[in-house]
Amino acid sequence: MITFSNVSLIYPQSTKTILEDLSFQIEEGEMVLVMGETGSGKSSLLRLINGLVPHHTGGILAGDISVDGISTRSVKPGSLAHLVGIVGQNPINGFVTDIVEEELAFSMEALNFPPDVMRKRVEEVLDLLSLSALRNRSIATLSGGEQQRVAIGAALVMHPKVLVLDEPTSALDPIAAEEVLSVLHRLVHDLSVTVIIAEHRLERVIQFVDRIIYIEGNGDTSIGTADEILKRSELVPPIVKLARALNLSEIGTSVREVRRQTEDIRNNQYSRPLVPSLENSPAIEISRVSHSYSEKSALNKVNAVINHGEIVAIMGRNGAGKSTLLHSIVGLHSPHSGEIRVNGADPTLLKGAARRRAIGYVPQEPSDLLFASSVEEECVLADRNNEIAPGSTAALLNRLVPHISLHAHPNDLSEGQRLALVLSIVLSGNPDVLVLDEPTRGLDYRAKNLFAIALKEYARQFNRPVLLATHDVELVAELADRVLFLAEGEIVADGTTLEVLLSSPAFAPQVAKVMSPKPWLTVADVVHAIEASA
Amino acid sequence: MKKPLHPLTLWICAILLAIGVVALDNAYIALAIVGAVALLVYIRRDGSPWQRSFLLSLRIGAIILAIRTIVGILIGVPIPGTKLFTLPILDLPTWMPGIRIGGAVTLERLSSSLHEGVIIATMIALFGAATSLTSPHKLLRVTPSFIYEIGITLVIATSLFPQLATSARRIRTAQKLRGFEKIELRSIAIPLLEESLSRSLQLAAAMDARGYGISRKRSRYRPQPWLMRDNLTLLLTAAAAVTMVTR
Repeated sequence: MITFSNVSLIYPQSTKTILEDLSFQIEEGEMVLVMGETGSGKSSLLRLINGLVPHHTGGILAGDISVDGISTRSVKPGSLAHLVGIVGQNPINGFVTDIVEEELAFSMEALNFPPDVMRKRVEEVLDLLSLSALRNRSIATLSGGEQQRVAIGAALVMHPKVLVLDEPTSALDPIAAEEVLSVLHRLVHDLSVTVIIAEHRLERVIQFVDRIIYIEGNGDTSIGTADEILKRSELVPPIVKLARALNLSEIGTSVREVRRQTEDIRNNQYSRPLVPSLENSPAIEISRVSHSYSEKSALNKVNAVINHGEIVAIMGRNGAGKSTLLHSIVGLHSPHSGEIRVNGADPTLLKGAARRRAIGYVPQEPSDLLFASSVEEECVLADRNNEIAPGSTAALLNRLVPHISLHAHPNDLSEGQRLALVLSIVLSGNPDVLVLDEPTRGLDYRAKNLFAIALKEYARQFNRPVLLATHDVELVAELADRVLFLAEGEIVADGTTLEVLLSSPAFAPQVAKVMSPKPWLTVADVVHAIEASA
Repeated sequence: MKKPLHPLTLWICAILLAIGVVALDNAYIALAIVGAVALLVYIRRDGSPWQRSFLLSLRIGAIILAIRTIVGILIGVPIPGTKLFTLPILDLPTWMPGIRIGGAVTLERLSSSLHEGVIIATMIALFGAATSLTSPHKLLRVTPSFIYEIGITLVIATSLFPQLATSARRIRTAQKLRGFEKIELRSIAIPLLEESLSRSLQLAAAMDARGYGISRKRSRYRPQPWLMRDNLTLLLTAAAAVTMVTR
């Protein structure tokens, strides 16, 4: 279906080749995962398939790519619209109309399909993706998962033979992500659509894919079945890490496979590890906080206490009120009723330097805080603002992520590097409390790991609380001491990470699913337990 | 909600009214029209992001009105009439004859400046109302496909405007939370520009990938019908505009 022969790609004004001498073939009805570190060229590879690269972005392409026998060199991306459907990273940025139905029909209108065909196909897709109830809704009012489904539907109406998706689940909560992935699975199996997908959270997709294209950091590319690639790759989901740590003969990609191999481990008896209990010294106190946006209630009488030295994750589905709660805590708005105290102070009254010392906040889009023209300039600015020794911020950054070029423009950094820069700027103010809103979107495992170490160090070393809102269950399992679970603006669960994550199958991390009913969340937990009993 | 008017109707009405306002040159009627339009926008509000462009256009209009009035009072030829107060006259070099800065401010001078400002502000408010009543995307749907390049530019430009406002607010908030009380232009403009550029590119790429502009003809899914209501609205507005012009 898709043939890459000796493809190399380089962007103008860049000295680094994105892809080098890449050749592979993808058959009809295959589901292929493209993985690699951030900035390794996954998106470029995806956009080569329908010719958006280089037709839309510029760049020099050597070799040839053909889709269903058509070379992408000879035609514009639009001429492949009936063959290749593409869904971008942020579907909201690619929507052209504002009503679900019109959005689905857009491509067909542009290609002058007769009205009766359009009506029929729109109905088909609405049914296939269970979007019928949303047909007249304005797209802006849909949830993230629904928007993703609309974007997939808008590509599917053309009956494409190939569907290309760039990180389709990165903004979604685990349940919405599963919804989207099961739709893709069905397309592959029922309609024999070829699906090519890029994703960082391998644990979400690995069980569905037939083959993997792995773009390594040094520019090498390998292609093979999931087992072949994961056996030796550096980026692996927790389930493969577990298999490696336990020296299993085979690595499995689904919970079921690994469960079969680990039966004897689960059947042994282990002593329960002692959980060091934290002393109760409240840092953030939230009492009966309610908030609403134009009659729509976002928070409803939320009570919570966050102690010093504790890392607390706020979880919940999209639109459950996580961001509103964080905004109230950092003092963006005062809640309509109730009270919030951060180390005894009202966060809405904090200003300037006092604010920087009291609350460090990393927003959802870290680049909102960056405006200087080089990394060095940002660091110098932070040093001056916080009246600390020159070079401190740069040193901190170097510890988080070594080898960032100080002369690079912040916009040219990879997602992980940019987050590290923002984090070191925020930490340079030496804040008493650290609050982060969905910090790990678009980070690969390595960057996530570094990030988790930095947060743990901050919390343990200074005995200060860290509060983060996230969808990433694996990160929460590794990092958090406690989880607050929000639903419809109310806290429905508040307990240790172990209690909360184990009690909900959808939010359980992979290791917990494999090892259930043993109370282990991460590979490290399993290894410790086995070592302790041996 | 009732079926809305055809997007083109609203735009043509806005243009006709703008012509009428300029031709009639009556500040009271202009203000009355702004009031009527504001009421219309208020009634048809549905919380969509482009709805804010009307308020924004009012704000821009007010700024223009203020600048026009101040400049009108300070500079210009004296108009005789009821004297309100006198400003000190600035001495200008002899090679600038006929221009006076300061001097007596008469009621007539004040009112003529205000008047001109109101007319300009009204025109801006009219176009602001048109954008806030019809989503820019809807306008694209009625653009013929032979002006494809213009269509694509139009949709990007018009959808950028409300997005700019949302993004600017988000960035401002983020920086306020970082403890920057005095917001510099640069610190907002740079992230804002970067974001807007990349968003526009993404939208253009998405439209390209979906075959926009490939076929010379394009069909309509549930075409927006041109109804009797549109005819009537246009007729009435045209009549009003003609009356205003010929008076």
